Amino acid sequence: MRAVGPDGRDGFWGELGQLTRAVGRAMSVTLRNLFRKPVTVMYPDRPRPYPDRFRGVLALVYEKETGEEACIGCRLCEYICPPQVIKVEMLKAEKRNYAKSFTLELYACEFCELCVQVCPTDAIIMLKTFDLATSDRREMLLDKDRLHALGLQFPASWATGNRLRDMQAPPKAVRGEPKGEGKE
Amino acid sequence: MSDVRVPTARSTVEIGYGGNERLMMNMGPQHPSAHGVFRAILTLEGEEVVAVDAVIGYLHRCHEKLGEALTYVQYPSIASKTDYVAAMTSELAYVTAVEKVGKIEVPRRAEYLRVLVAELQRVASHCLWLGTWCLDMGGALGGGATVFLYTMRERETILDLFESLTGARLLYGFHQVGGVRYDVPAGWPEQCRRTIEQVGQRVDEYEAMLEDNAFFLVRTQGVGTISRELALGMGVSGPLVRGSGVGYDVRRTEPYSAYPDFDFGIPVESAGDCYARYRVRMQEFRESIKIVRQVLDGLPAGPISSRPGVKSVGQVRVPKGEGYARVEGARGEVGCYLISDGGPKPYRMKWRGASFSNLAVLPHIIPGHKVADVVAIMGSVDPVFGEVDR
Amino acid sequence: MTLSPLTRDVIAAFILLNAIVLVVTYVTLLERKFAARMQSRIGPYYVGWPHGWLQPIADALKLMLKEDVVPTASDRWVYNLAPLVFLLPCLLIFATIPFAPGLGLADLNIGVLFFLAVSGLEIVGLFMGGWGSNNKYALLSAMRAVNQIISYDLPFIFAALIPVVLAGSMQMSAIVLAQQGLFGWYVFYPVIGQLAFLAYVIATLAAENRVPFDILEAESELVAGFRVEYSGMKFALIQLGEYAHMVGTSFLGALLFLGGWLGPGPAWLGPVWFLLKAVLVFLLVTWVRWSFVRIRVDQILAVSWKLLLPATVLLLLATAFVVAVGAGRGA
Repeated sequence: MRAVGPDGRDGFWGELGQLTRAVGRAMSVTLRNLFRKPVTVMYPDRPRPYPDRFRGVLALVYEKETGEEACIGCRLCEYICPPQVIKVEMLKAEKRNYAKSFTLELYACEFCELCVQVCPTDAIIMLKTFDLATSDRREMLLDKDRLHALGLQFPASWATGNRLRDMQAPPKAVRGEPKGEGKE
Repeated sequence: MSDVRVPTARSTVEIGYGGNERLMMNMGPQHPSAHGVFRAILTLEGEEVVAVDAVIGYLHRCHEKLGEALTYVQYPSIASKTDYVAAMTSELAYVTAVEKVGKIEVPRRAEYLRVLVAELQRVASHCLWLGTWCLDMGGALGGGATVFLYTMRERETILDLFESLTGARLLYGFHQVGGVRYDVPAGWPEQCRRTIEQVGQRVDEYEAMLEDNAFFLVRTQGVGTISRELALGMGVSGPLVRGSGVGYDVRRTEPYSAYPDFDFGIPVESAGDCYARYRVRMQEFRESIKIVRQVLDGLPAGPISSRPGVKSVGQVRVPKGEGYARVEGARGEVGCYLISDGGPKPYRMKWRGASFSNLAVLPHIIPGHKVADVVAIMGSVDPVFGEVDR
Repeated sequence: MTLSPLTRDVIAAFILLNAIVLVVTYVTLLERKFAARMQSRIGPYYVGWPHGWLQPIADALKLMLKEDVVPTASDRWVYNLAPLVFLLPCLLIFATIPFAPGLGLADLNIGVLFFLAVSGLEIVGLFMGGWGSNNKYALLSAMRAVNQIISYDLPFIFAALIPVVLAGSMQMSAIVLAQQGLFGWYVFYPVIGQLAFLAYVIATLAAENRVPFDILEAESELVAGFRVEYSGMKFALIQLGEYAHMVGTSFLGALLFLGGWLGPGPAWLGPVWFLLKAVLVFLLVTWVRWSFVRIRVDQILAVSWKLLLPATVLLLLATAFVVAVGAGRGA
């Protein structure tokens, strides 16, 4: 068994010395890790810290001022969704439009956040949770009520349509307020 | 003794029939070390591999057809799913192609951010490579698993960085035509510096574990040698070709994005065996960390996209034309060829997957080695089958 | 009530068998926790919360309740008998190990010879398993196994014979008694002791199919090797046999090199010391196992025939010379 290492020392004693050193080094790395704290996080007993922008489960929200549904049924999210998991029907009304039905097939969703990005009224958002595991896939076909319930149940991520678009837009000629989140 | 073609459906290698009994063994698509779904039909004479018949296509998901069906604003997040281990560079290939064809400007800050994430992604991808390679060579219950868990630990810290930046850990959707979608949040550059500091130290630890290790050296030296002529002839790229003495790196040969602004080296080894490729990738760790530091030091202020944020699905229209953009992914040259007809979707989009060309050398370099070397060679080629089958 | 010697032996054997099975089962938990800590993780935790104390029991129950899948094309008798033929020698080796002066099932005066001879019989069961499965992977693995274990049995025997020569007896209790005092342990014997212990550990790694010599199971290539077609209780027996052999050679190593039951404190503490020393040897082997990648079968054989065998033969000759000159202990 010839082991020609980087310093290329041949000969029996040279090889043996190199082998011993290498074995010792490898085993000392393992030994050092024996005394390091394990990196395991005992989820779900301990909560997992989610970053601000976490792209989790989708939800619909209500408007802050009026408490009405924020969704105006414009179907922009339906058109942009790459796997086409969103299906919306618009309900026209006098002051503003609503969504008559809004279904989102979460089992096929890619979590790409494009629907959040295009929403003009910040109605659809993503939440800081992913934990919606069930044993029946039909429970992951979210309808409008379920989506609104989820929106009330879990904390929302930072990203909404307007915030994302503001962050991405090139500077216009006149711009008053400072942009989105802190930049470097 | 005559030369007989081994009767397989797609024989590509002629071998001499020595008269020994042959065994055809299937390293099937479901195999602990197939690196994805890959079928290798090995023809064995005792312990030695005499021919390899590679069967791919188990992960074909019609990316190129999807490229025709989805618009320029929808596809970048799908593009990350080709090379899902190094998703940032896959998306980069697509948006660079669109910007080339459409002659779309990208702001400096966006270019810097693209380089930053591409290099971080390269570090994360190489962490995965090292872990899975040692896992294949050392066994799921053994020293290989130890190195695997250590490198996964490091990769998780980088994925945490990406999660703070984009919200996703593996498939980002970070790029868009004209720039990037997300800007760095507050506190991110410090976190990034701390992370790469730690990764750099740990990489030194892993090198210490493996570098002089006689067991590791006998498994990798002289195994799977790709000669310079073979590398140039088969069109391999990335660490494979740099391990065989050819100093070809797209970031140097055909600089894209903000790479001309940075000072980094291209590691080249001439031996062409698994050990040389290992050394190339370990050096690439360090070079990528160097680039990340330079980007963080010099990140300019400014907008992150030259196009307004996506508001509608047909927002980006590219004038008629065609073009090919190539980037240096973690596995080699990833390319995207685009033909546009003036609408919001491409007329034709073709992916050049790095792993697809890299896999083509397998029937040439594996014969002559033992069965145990097959996994070592496959690990050092480091294929990702999303790129191969698209 | 006086028991006939036969009844006494049968009861002793029964107790020993159960104790060994229990020890072996919990040694698997020890290995998993030790390996986990070396890999920055925790290991079994929830079963028998905390820290997985019931995990081995759960594993044993699971294997007992699992369906026994038998391939149709397998060689029926060979396939079904292989786990038993594999297990029997692995359990039989414990018969000769004395856990304390007088506390052993059969302290033969050819104890070490018996141990080494019987432990080599497992290869028959191994090959039967590989052949009977009618599976190319299993067969390949079985052929590699025959190669490897036969090659490494020789250095193993020579390394184990060095304390025999130093003590002048093959009876295990005699070897232990010849290692009085802390520095009387054979591992502290100048030069010869350390080299012999090193050779013993390496040969154990190879004879047990532990990484870096585990090419025969090689999960990433041969997916469990000769065991691949076994499920349920048969698989449990094979696993039991493997770990029992592992523990048995650890006990032998502790006995030959680390002074067996000798240790400070009262005499009833002897078996405890013995167990601790055996666990130490086992952890040493485990530490090596989780630190290295494996090497190829031709390289394994090269190490054995070109490196380890000449080294152990020379060492044995050197020991014999030393003893003959009079520096050794024992008759």
